[in-house]
Amino acid sequence: MTTLILWLLDRTAPLFRALDADYGQLRAIVQVKLIMDNRRNIVSLGRYGKQSAENNNSFVRILLIYTVVGVVISLGMLAIPPQESLFLPLTLQFSYIMALCAMTLISDFSSVILDSSDNQIILPRPVGNRTLWLARVVHITSYLFGIALSLSVGGVLIVGYRFGPLAGLMFMALSLLSAVLMVFLTNLFYLVLMRFISEEKLREVINYFQILMAVLFYGGYQLLPRLIGSQDAISRIIDHQWWHYLVPPMWMAATVDVFVKPVLDVNHLIFAALALLMPVAGIWFMNRFLTTDFTQKLSDIDSERRPEATAFSAQQSPWGQTSWLEQLATWVTTNSLERAAFAFTWRVTGRDRKFKLKTYPQLGFGLAYVVAMSFQGGSLGSSGFFYLFALYFAGLYVMVAQYQLGISDNYKASWIYGSAPIQTPGAVLLGALKALILKLLLPFYVILASYILYRYGLDKISDVLLAFSNSLVMLVSSALLSTRYMPFSLAPDALKQNNTARGLLTSLILAVIGFSHYGLTFIPYGVWVATPLSVGIFFLLLQYYKKTAWSAIEMG
Amino acid sequence: MTPVIQLQNIHKSYGSTLVLKGIDLSVSPGQIVGYIGPNGAGKSTTIKILIGMLPDFTGEASVLGMDVKTQSLDIKRRIGYVPENAALYDTLTPMEYLQFIGQLYALDPAHIDRKALDLLRLFQLSDYANARMTTFSKGMRQKVLLISGLLHNPDVIFLDEPLSGLDANAVVLVKEIIRQLAGSGKTIFYSSHIMEVVEKISDRIIIINQGQIVADGTFAELQHQRPESLEQLFAQLTGSDGQTGIAEEFIHTLNN
Repeated sequence: MTTLILWLLDRTAPLFRALDADYGQLRAIVQVKLIMDNRRNIVSLGRYGKQSAENNNSFVRILLIYTVVGVVISLGMLAIPPQESLFLPLTLQFSYIMALCAMTLISDFSSVILDSSDNQIILPRPVGNRTLWLARVVHITSYLFGIALSLSVGGVLIVGYRFGPLAGLMFMALSLLSAVLMVFLTNLFYLVLMRFISEEKLREVINYFQILMAVLFYGGYQLLPRLIGSQDAISRIIDHQWWHYLVPPMWMAATVDVFVKPVLDVNHLIFAALALLMPVAGIWFMNRFLTTDFTQKLSDIDSERRPEATAFSAQQSPWGQTSWLEQLATWVTTNSLERAAFAFTWRVTGRDRKFKLKTYPQLGFGLAYVVAMSFQGGSLGSSGFFYLFALYFAGLYVMVAQYQLGISDNYKASWIYGSAPIQTPGAVLLGALKALILKLLLPFYVILASYILYRYGLDKISDVLLAFSNSLVMLVSSALLSTRYMPFSLAPDALKQNNTARGLLTSLILAVIGFSHYGLTFIPYGVWVATPLSVGIFFLLLQYYKKTAWSAIEMG
Repeated sequence: MTPVIQLQNIHKSYGSTLVLKGIDLSVSPGQIVGYIGPNGAGKSTTIKILIGMLPDFTGEASVLGMDVKTQSLDIKRRIGYVPENAALYDTLTPMEYLQFIGQLYALDPAHIDRKALDLLRLFQLSDYANARMTTFSKGMRQKVLLISGLLHNPDVIFLDEPLSGLDANAVVLVKEIIRQLAGSGKTIFYSSHIMEVVEKISDRIIIINQGQIVADGTFAELQHQRPESLEQLFAQLTGSDGQTGIAEEFIHTLNN
């Protein structure tokens, strides 16, 4: 894939020279970046999972999935409607492509866009701002083109088959332009963000933005099938409004429409002009005016971090946050080792951006899924035991967090477990697990429970309690069953890929418990009786977990 | 002789904290300048300004007669920089990394290949030339970093803690390389915490404390003012005298 991208790049070399970049340097930077992406487990592509040794397998896999999704959506939206009412389906297609590009950019590539590790290596070299910026854009765009193409290939074929190859080609070209437009808009977005927020806050804000995006991303999957479902709603012809000129997907759709119908009126001409000119103009504009600013801001991020950090820790009073956390720790733990692990885990989970990025979206999605399902008029959402399903289903997402607990970028610091005289590592594990339960699981369940109670009535409180307790039991069991690691002791890519079997087993057990719970609801007071039992099992299991010996722990 | 490095009244602040408070400095060709100071004194900031990485400072700065603010690209082509924290793309092999760096200076690939291999051999890294640097020790990385900073045969060389992680033999070798580079007319600007090394190889020593130069001269000149070792002189000038007392207190606290 790298060779292909570089080959294409060489073909377009004059373009970059015209943009005032040093092509030799640009090519060298892009090449090195691609090689590095292939080699490391692309952290920025974290969601795409583990990378194997020397290829882009998981990215290719993602592209395949996108292709399938794209084909399904295109079949649903583009295959049936008559050609005069294709405008809205086309708009939705392009919206989908643009949304996915934007989300990928923000959630997966912001670390690439805002990468300040280049500062030490490339900035001291005679590389112009423009060249560096363009190299970054090319690097990112090469991925985005892959995504845009795989999403649109279905649509391209359908449109090409129904309305001639020219329309199909147009569809494809406009998908690529959509990706370019998104690069421009995202860059603009970051610049605006940088202008209004102080730099040291920027990474934090982006982190939360990524989390939000990820939730929306998953939520989008829920929404989309229903859009496809209502066939007649989308095939209706919409009247032209002035604000349509402000909606980028409509530019693209109208331009394809020109070849689909075919038609050529003033409206379509304006749309087509916007579609073709805006991405190019955007890139030109950024290249002309914003690059210097951008790299400058980036090098600021890096250099400003250290002084700010010292100022921060100086401000924090030793008895501020520490005391209530210590207080909480003394309440819920039984010995000092456990207490230390509890406070340690509490703090790290709140500060490690990677951890937050891996876990919070999952939790958010759990909530989003439940809410979306409960509104769905279909079979499951309205059935009597949906709220139970929701409660247990959400429990699955908490387990992901437990899984992430062993992983950290600072895994090397885990030498401390080896050098400190720790006799009962189980206490450390237990402290960490308790922190996780109190910090993530409890608030998550409170929100979930509030929603369930609000929607299905207060009398479901007994079920909520039992489900919560059962989820805790599941959490500890899953911790007991899986390989045990000390908290934050594993390199991010070191985790073995054995989660499929474990995941299957967990969902199976979860289903059994869930259905038993459902059965209990038919017995008077059954749930109330079962709850203390479940709580008892939970504490029993905790004791087992606490007894974990060194022999049962795998060090990274 | 026209100075190679010239700084006039340089001020630089990060946010509201003033890091450099008026640095004046002039270095002639062929000098080895040891630039020392406690952590946070502004050493790295000075170097970053000189190599054109931090354009937003006030005052006049020029390197090789070119203005740092307006001609940074031209300056960068003729200087070498070895940063302190071993920042390199460690998923690459040394050869790939050096090839990449060479391309940024628009050197001929075949030429880079030959040169890089030779330099790696001289640093006894031939066997690792095509191994990924993720597994490299700090010293090995530092060697690659040194080569990457010198590959394009620069006229002025900025070294930030160049000996960190190197074993004793490599330290001797690098010291000798620095000396011979200066002998061939190149200017070395070099910051370090290791006083013995600075004392031995520098033609001129500049001590900076809290963003200001507090001493400037050859070691002999500095010794003339206060005839102790550089270490003691350093402690005195940077206001951290009485380390013995602190050490005693430290032991005392441990025993409690």
